[in-house]
Amino acid sequence: MGGRVNQQLARYVPALLLALLLLGPILALLVRWLSSSDDIPLLAFINAGTLLLVGKSLLLSCIVAVLASLMGTICGFLLYRLKFPFRGFYKILLLLPLLVPPYIFAVAWKDGFQWLFSNSTVINPELGMIIVHTLVLFPLAMLITGTALSQIHSGLEEAGLMRVSFRKMLVKIVLPLIRPALTISFLLILIISLSDFSVPAFFGVNNFTTEIFTQFSAFYNHQLAISQSFLLVILCLILLLSENRYLSDAPFFSVHVKGSSTKHYSVHKGKTILHILLWILLLVVLVLPLVMLLHQALSGREILFSRAWELLSPTIYQSAKLAFLGALLISAIGFWVAFMKERSHFPHLNTMLLLTFIIPSTVLGVAVIKFYNHPSTNFIYTSILILLITYVSRFGFIAARIIGNGIKQVPVSLDEVSRVIGIPPIKRFFSISIPLLLPAIFTAFVLSFVLCLGELGTTIMIYPPGTELMPVKIFTIGANAPLALTSSMTLISFGVTMIFILLFFLMGKLIFKRFRYE
Amino acid sequence: MNKISLEHITHRYGDNKVLEDFSFSFEEAKTTCMIGPSGCGKTTILRLISGLEAPLKGIIKINETVATENENILIPPHKRKIGFVFQDLALWPHFTVFRNIAFGLKGRKTEKVSHQVTQILNLFGIADKAKKYPHQLSGGQKQMVAIARSLVHQPEIFLMDEPLANIDVKVKENILAHIKLLQQEFRFTMLYVTHDHQEAMQTGDKILVMNEGVIEAAGTKKEIENSSNHFVRSFIKL
Repeated sequence: MGGRVNQQLARYVPALLLALLLLGPILALLVRWLSSSDDIPLLAFINAGTLLLVGKSLLLSCIVAVLASLMGTICGFLLYRLKFPFRGFYKILLLLPLLVPPYIFAVAWKDGFQWLFSNSTVINPELGMIIVHTLVLFPLAMLITGTALSQIHSGLEEAGLMRVSFRKMLVKIVLPLIRPALTISFLLILIISLSDFSVPAFFGVNNFTTEIFTQFSAFYNHQLAISQSFLLVILCLILLLSENRYLSDAPFFSVHVKGSSTKHYSVHKGKTILHILLWILLLVVLVLPLVMLLHQALSGREILFSRAWELLSPTIYQSAKLAFLGALLISAIGFWVAFMKERSHFPHLNTMLLLTFIIPSTVLGVAVIKFYNHPSTNFIYTSILILLITYVSRFGFIAARIIGNGIKQVPVSLDEVSRVIGIPPIKRFFSISIPLLLPAIFTAFVLSFVLCLGELGTTIMIYPPGTELMPVKIFTIGANAPLALTSSMTLISFGVTMIFILLFFLMGKLIFKRFRYE
Repeated sequence: MNKISLEHITHRYGDNKVLEDFSFSFEEAKTTCMIGPSGCGKTTILRLISGLEAPLKGIIKINETVATENENILIPPHKRKIGFVFQDLALWPHFTVFRNIAFGLKGRKTEKVSHQVTQILNLFGIADKAKKYPHQLSGGQKQMVAIARSLVHQPEIFLMDEPLANIDVKVKENILAHIKLLQQEFRFTMLYVTHDHQEAMQTGDKILVMNEGVIEAAGTKKEIENSSNHFVRSFIKL
């Protein structure tokens, strides 16, 4: 009896603590909004201007979601289902934009417009945002649809090919089978685009996230910012509820896909055209932004580059340290949440992480400031703890799903057999669970690291005094400095990110080689 | 003498009732084969006996001691002296064959563990595979390792959940011969779940024919063959 009570306590106390830390700010924001009727009527902020802004934000993100999903699906099919040389090479390079902070691409494309038209404002800022978001987010759609395509059993397609043409089989069999993946990639890209602050901010697009930031940080109109935040939260919640079933399981965040029974189609004719098309895509997605960034950075001569290094170098260590701590915490919490969902049938923490994941960055910033800015929680508000809590809120869901899908692939019987022969729980955990899940945990860690390293939307609102972080520094300096200086700093930031990605790639190769058992 | 007794066991997964007031006793040092269609509750019985799950209602006794009472597991799995070979074999993929068998042989000197493992590997004729990983073995070799891993702990009860499915007849016969020899030596009680009624007839001292969570027939090979039960006759194609 006592043992069962202890078990329940061990489960619920940490869960409640996590809920308080992560959900507390959102709930407090709701209470604040509902109790604000004395000063401003509850729905007073809903006027024509606000509705227009909501409509504009939604429209921009919808365009991004449609374009990125379309591009991603085509690339997903080409790279996951066709058989041709250098497939893996294209796959890795095309996934890179997903790992690089989006503001880097925003600066690069802004530079490109400046270079091409001698004026970066000649291109409509909204168009700039659409281009960058599409190019940065289409790899997500590629990953999701590619994973779904790899899970279609060859027999289903072959049975179709016995009756109809290849094209008809694609439309009538493959497309309906990957419909959930298409829906989810559209929805995720829509939410991420709607939530992102960095790209619209760098382009100067006035959308809902930048407006909340402006109202809160520039005009100190907290009440309006809170009210607007809630409208955005409600919008995201509607999106979430519409596809909650697929999202809460997120089958696409998998470390590896068992695709041995998948049919791969050989490319005989058109191999050259395929390579040319993929090279053009690589050029646009990766090479061109880098060249534009390089060109702009070097146009400011050496002195500007060294000034950029001088400004940015103190932030590199701090950013890396914080990203490392954040990734460590996210992976640990992600592991716990995933284990609770998959093995203890306790999915509530996963749902909570999904909820905090969809909250737009600036909204989260407002909520966290309002919740933790009290004498009793000052130790959180004035230290890096506030950033770590925010990182878990923003990216914990992704880590939990990657690890959760890893857990799903490990049969329960592997644990049960060790229970039967009497292996103690701690030994079981370290000898069986951890080694088997190491590839998933490592992937979650790396992804969390790069996401924390590039986070701007919330960080810029909450970073504690004495903390200097790369994206914040670039954004704040970039507001008043010459474009060449911003470009140089962005180039350095890109280089730093790439060094970490390379390091993790090499480490990952070792881990995956050692801990892959097929 | 009865080694394991199941008394009025009722169990369900969600809304799906798997066992309904199920009672049966398994005799000591004998082999009981359980046959029946998929979902009839065979695997559930093994899981309940092993203590990996508790029933909604009923009592499970091992050596006349109550091991499980209703939803309470009174004796945890590792104290029931059980060897369990799972349907998917559950070999730890990151351990070598040697470590798969040695893992859990605690509190003993390294040389003794090594000797024990080598002895059982020799017995199954797979000593040369000691340093291999599970994915480097054939289907039959994997099955041998899974069985060796369970038997190295010298269990009093040996549960096998269709571990010999999908392997060729010769290998299957070889493995079963090994197990029979070991059973004669160590006198463990064996519960063997299978779909294959011929295999059940050959292996079991007693045969239990199940359908939808209830016993349709139980007895020796002859008794089953002479059964007038319609389900039994159609299932084993008499």
